[in-house]
Amino acid sequence: MLEGSFIDLSRLFRDGEQTVLRANELRTRRVVLLNGELIQNQRSGSRGVSALVCRNGSRGFASTGSVSAGEAERVLRSAAENAAFLSRNAPRDLPKLPACPKRRIDAKREIIDTPQRTLIDGVRALDAFVAGLPGLVSRRVFYYEDSQEKWICTSDACDGHVTIPRCYFYVEMNAEAKDGSTVSIMQAYGGLGGFTEQFADLSRLYDGIRTQHGWLMDKREGVYAQAGLKTVVMGGDLTGMLAHEAVGHTTEADLVLGGSVAGTNLNKPVASPLISLVDYAHTVSGGEAPLPLLLDDEGIPAEDAWIIRDGILTGYMNNRESAARFGVTPAGNARAWDYSDEPLVRMRNTAILPGRDKLSDMIASLDDGYYLLVTGNGQADATGEFMFGINMGYEVKNGKLGRAILDTTVSGVAFEMLKTVDMVSDELVWTSNGFCGKKQPMPVGCGGPALRCRMTIGGR
Amino acid sequence: MSKRNDITRRLGELLAERGADRYSCEVSEEETHEFNVENGGFSLLRTVFSTDVSLRVFLGRKMGKAGGNDVSEDGLASLADSAIATAASAEEDPAWDLAPDQGRETVSRGPMTPDMDGLFTRTTELLDTIARDYPEIAVTRCMTKYTRGHSLYTNTNGTMLDESRGLYDIMLEFAGRAGEKTTSLNYVYFLTDRLDVPFIGQSDLRQNLENTRGSLRAENLPGKFEGTAILMPECLESFLWSLISIYASDQVIMDGTSPWLDRVGEQVAHEALTLSLTPSDPRIMDGERHTAGGFWSEDCTLIEKGVLKAHMLSLYAANKTGRPVMKNTGFSLAVTPGEKSLDDMIRGVKKGILVGYFSGGEPASNGEFSGIAKNSFLIEDGRLAGALSETMINGNLEKVFRHIAGISREVRANGQTLLPWVAVDGVVISGK
Repeated sequence: MLEGSFIDLSRLFRDGEQTVLRANELRTRRVVLLNGELIQNQRSGSRGVSALVCRNGSRGFASTGSVSAGEAERVLRSAAENAAFLSRNAPRDLPKLPACPKRRIDAKREIIDTPQRTLIDGVRALDAFVAGLPGLVSRRVFYYEDSQEKWICTSDACDGHVTIPRCYFYVEMNAEAKDGSTVSIMQAYGGLGGFTEQFADLSRLYDGIRTQHGWLMDKREGVYAQAGLKTVVMGGDLTGMLAHEAVGHTTEADLVLGGSVAGTNLNKPVASPLISLVDYAHTVSGGEAPLPLLLDDEGIPAEDAWIIRDGILTGYMNNRESAARFGVTPAGNARAWDYSDEPLVRMRNTAILPGRDKLSDMIASLDDGYYLLVTGNGQADATGEFMFGINMGYEVKNGKLGRAILDTTVSGVAFEMLKTVDMVSDELVWTSNGFCGKKQPMPVGCGGPALRCRMTIGGR
Repeated sequence: MSKRNDITRRLGELLAERGADRYSCEVSEEETHEFNVENGGFSLLRTVFSTDVSLRVFLGRKMGKAGGNDVSEDGLASLADSAIATAASAEEDPAWDLAPDQGRETVSRGPMTPDMDGLFTRTTELLDTIARDYPEIAVTRCMTKYTRGHSLYTNTNGTMLDESRGLYDIMLEFAGRAGEKTTSLNYVYFLTDRLDVPFIGQSDLRQNLENTRGSLRAENLPGKFEGTAILMPECLESFLWSLISIYASDQVIMDGTSPWLDRVGEQVAHEALTLSLTPSDPRIMDGERHTAGGFWSEDCTLIEKGVLKAHMLSLYAANKTGRPVMKNTGFSLAVTPGEKSLDDMIRGVKKGILVGYFSGGEPASNGEFSGIAKNSFLIEDGRLAGALSETMINGNLEKVFRHIAGISREVRANGQTLLPWVAVDGVVISGK
């Protein structure tokens, strides 16, 4: 654990510099069973201190893998030297960043370390359940957790303590398809908190795993999707991926300043009026967000960032510098993964808001389309072009679910595709096990209801 | 004696006190200095000092891994405790092992002192050259960095590798821009150990800048057709890693689902394809020196003239399955170049596509792939016929590598891989 006394090191700061000192600890745990054999069994940790110094519009960053007052002084000195180098050689004409009223914001959760034996026993127990399901040619059951803990000490913003622990079981099932090849589906189960909090009763996962198994059995008889522009109902998991990849990234201020399609569309219609999209900080509908954040890594209190309201693009996600450029108040989107990483503009819990329609009605409305359920990865571009992989879905003919479809990819251009949305379900579904990749990994929450829309499906 | 030696020695003592039978230990110290440029301005200069320790500990035939970076006395004791507890919690598995004694080696490569003024000058020169020669190109991000690393790997079988390495990394992200029009983002990454050569001429940077400029006039492709795809090195690299993952990696061999499970010695690809891992090639800057299991890394061939020579198996997977271990767990992919020039390959295509990079879902376990062809160009009657937008490519990995139409004599050497351009038939290309 990191020491709270770290937060009192502002005496080391220099006048005329805007400074953030951060002590950061990251821990990961991993246990993997392949067909019941333990093939990975590891624990790792990484801790250190970093300094971010801004002077006359130039920024320097330094970090080291030790946490002490002496090391804090060392990185402050190095960061200041780096800022000075850029100030001499590549000065930028930037105004001083507006100060943020100082207060102390502390974490609400503890990070609890679970013995490795307990984790292995848990994976074994869940694997035993999966092994009992019929028709599998192989299975991989694994446990992964990561926890971030930070102490933030700033010259002209807030100070505080941040903790974000999360843990998941991943279940990958493989079955033989009718042509002799292998079909596969992987799902994650878990969320915020430690092992004991999430998995005290593993039987709570069984229904979800049985559903996953049912999908796999259908996929054994699966067919290839017809390529082309189709009307689809996207499940909530996919909508969350869409919110993150297709819209979220293009509205991160650094990409906006780099010329993303969101830059020319502020205050314009970019989606159907049924669509609203928010990057939540810590609270959703009175409850905790999947990965709640109270304070970002620049010392800015985390607030919700409204991105799309009733189809109109209303804002971006910012750090202090981009917020100053755009003349807005930053909402706490500057985040760093490890002690050695500088804060970048990142998403937190990004979701399209639910509507009023029933999922059953949405499927019944399709004459000839697809119901898409499971995705594994996605990517987006500054142009708004997005893609994500589909690992489970069904044909829909005359309003009824038909054959399962084999793996495919869907794509589109976000602001065009969102204008085709004409039904939005009334239930919000979240995932939080993934990583966003943007120079550094970052845990993020992605959420959404089911959407009926038009998008391009890949295939032969 | 270096700090790494002190840490290694002390960990050995701590592990012995705690009953470890065997172990491997790697201590890495790194110093990194990185310039960050965003949207035309130097946004950050970043310096990182790090020391990381990675342990693999055996209690009989139980194995556990632990890692950390707290190298104080308390930190090392805690790491040793964690490694022992992790091993103790495991089950016995005779497949876990360490490679036999490989000997002792000390190696050093590249500049051990950063020339930050020189790196700043070359970075500024690169940005100025792009602005002058490619005014339609907007550099959204540029990172140039120097990293000096020292690592000491030891294990209880007697192997020791003391390695020092100094390298410069260059990463460029850019798009074409004309008025409100913007192209897809494109990326180029390469390594170098010298600053006496301008960055602009290195790797395939100029070609990618030209392609991105050409993409400003991208159009949708009507309909779909089956044709030839010329995979640029970046696209080829992602396809090859997917091929290895689905057909020749630890998991699919251990669980028996690989379509190439029992096909070593058989033709699995076109005879034009020879695919290797070549860490010792002098053009590879960051080649692996030792495997995770403790072997000295060797140049290894996975596919030779289309014949599968070996699966890419770690020591654990090899012991588990009774198959040969591959003494390479690295990333230094190399494809033997062909005889034709890229221009001649394009001239030989009746109808097809030149693919910059592939953006799609992970290929299915039967090799089926489907995704967006980014930074791509239509080829008709042997000529590039215009840049494409919102175009997808679909096919099967094994099938396309069985139907290679040509391999270029040009090779992209970016310090990590040695990859040519490869033309493959049987790809379905579809527009909106």
